[in-house]
Amino acid sequence: MNSPHEINVIKMKDVSKVYDNGAVALDNINISIKRGEFVFIVGTSGAGKSSFIKLLLREITPTAGTVTINGYNIKNMDNHDIPYLRRSLGVIFQDYRLLPNKTVYENVAFAMRVIESPRRLILRSVNSVLDVVGLREKYKCFPNQLSGGEQQRVAIARAIVNNPAIVIADEPTGNLDPETSWEIMDIFQRINAAGTTIVMATHDKTIVDTMQKRVIAIENGHIVRDESIGGYGYEI
Amino acid sequence: MKFRTSEYFIKEVAISLKRNNWMSLASIGTVTISLFILGLFIIIVANLNRMASSLESQVQISVYLQDNITKQQRTTIEEDLKKLSGVEAVKYVSKDEAIKRFKSRLGDQEYLLTALDNTNPLPDAFEVTVSNPNIVKTASKTIEKFKGVDSAVYAQDVVEHLFELTKLVRYIGLAIIIFLAGATIFIISNTIRLTVFARRKEIAIMKYVGATDWFIRWPFLLEGIVLGFIGGALSAIFLRFAYTTLTAKIYDMMAFFPLIPIHPFLTYISIIIICSGIFIGALGSTISIKRFLEV
Repeated sequence: MNSPHEINVIKMKDVSKVYDNGAVALDNINISIKRGEFVFIVGTSGAGKSSFIKLLLREITPTAGTVTINGYNIKNMDNHDIPYLRRSLGVIFQDYRLLPNKTVYENVAFAMRVIESPRRLILRSVNSVLDVVGLREKYKCFPNQLSGGEQQRVAIARAIVNNPAIVIADEPTGNLDPETSWEIMDIFQRINAAGTTIVMATHDKTIVDTMQKRVIAIENGHIVRDESIGGYGYEI
Repeated sequence: MKFRTSEYFIKEVAISLKRNNWMSLASIGTVTISLFILGLFIIIVANLNRMASSLESQVQISVYLQDNITKQQRTTIEEDLKKLSGVEAVKYVSKDEAIKRFKSRLGDQEYLLTALDNTNPLPDAFEVTVSNPNIVKTASKTIEKFKGVDSAVYAQDVVEHLFELTKLVRYIGLAIIIFLAGATIFIISNTIRLTVFARRKEIAIMKYVGATDWFIRWPFLLEGIVLGFIGGALSAIFLRFAYTTLTAKIYDMMAFFPLIPIHPFLTYISIIIICSGIFIGALGSTISIKRFLEV
């Protein structure tokens, strides 16, 4: 369980991931991420970034080594605990993954309803996170009535509505123009300032270079660089 | 389960039944037909069993005499029969009496006897009542060896044939039922798969935000159960109708035919059928949803 004394919310020790077809996605990874950190995961496509993200979400388990997230050892954990691990994580994807037949409000509330939160709490929390992402007025809109940036803000609201300890974002600005991307990054900064750990996989050089946060670079399944204040480091 | 949550589940089920109305109807239809046949077989087997056991409890042996024996011989046979252990009563039925009884049993259909041209094909006989059904078999074997006795017939013969028939019906029924149950489960699981497939994105999001598998599974499971229940209830109604009609018809013709009385037999059958429907529905949806839960 997540004890307040545990500062490392994510810890990987000697982690390797080899898929059934023999492809080595990650090879002997060692990292720790502390509570409240803002971390970029960079690397070219196929470098192992998505496997890294999938491990954090416990979509896959490591072939060797241990991955501890919010106190859960994801390899040995009981299947019944997986939903509870995921409740401590907020996840954001490049393609937003909103439900098209639900309004903004319902999309965000959905994340609370399916973990059986009390209705009164849902109303309060959803309104408050819609304030955080600046979409309170558009709560009745359906996703197709929103711009890409707005849809991603709804997805962020959904990710943080259950107060996760860690927000995991997989290329969240990948489909957005630069200006909109900065709006998204601004929201992430605010969420991070409130104490939430953020792990963001990205290709966006400008964002990484400008933000001056910790950067973990993965190349061919290895961590080739881990700088506490770093830049993107690749030429595009 | 919290009230709010069950409300959510019920809503989900109603929406998806409406959305897949044709598939839902098809599922209900196949459940109904399959369970109706299942019920029919149960009813037939149960009735055959009952007939067999009601015959089994009859402790009478009919001893048919050869045609050409003398009165003296007949008296000897009667005395020998009375001497057998376990024999309680021996009653002589002459061939005249036998044909008279037969006529009255035929009732309206007495005219059938005219085909015999007033000859009497029935033999003279003794009706031997024994004290205990277990000795019927050995007693009749002994009796058959008496001089002047043509044959000793007891219900056991019929009973054995009935048991064989019951067994056969049971095997055929079992095979048909297994086949139908498989088909029904397949159709239900396909119907539910449509719902699951239409909502796979929703399911994936539910998994990501930490919904438990059971929370995700319930609406689909419930949908299968509802389909199975409706099918089961319908076939229970049809079975009730069929059995009451049929028993009325049979009693009209043969008042003492040993059929199982409608109450409480049909209630048990209904319970079995409806429970099977629910089980089949639940199984069908469990199969179809399993794959989509692996995120």
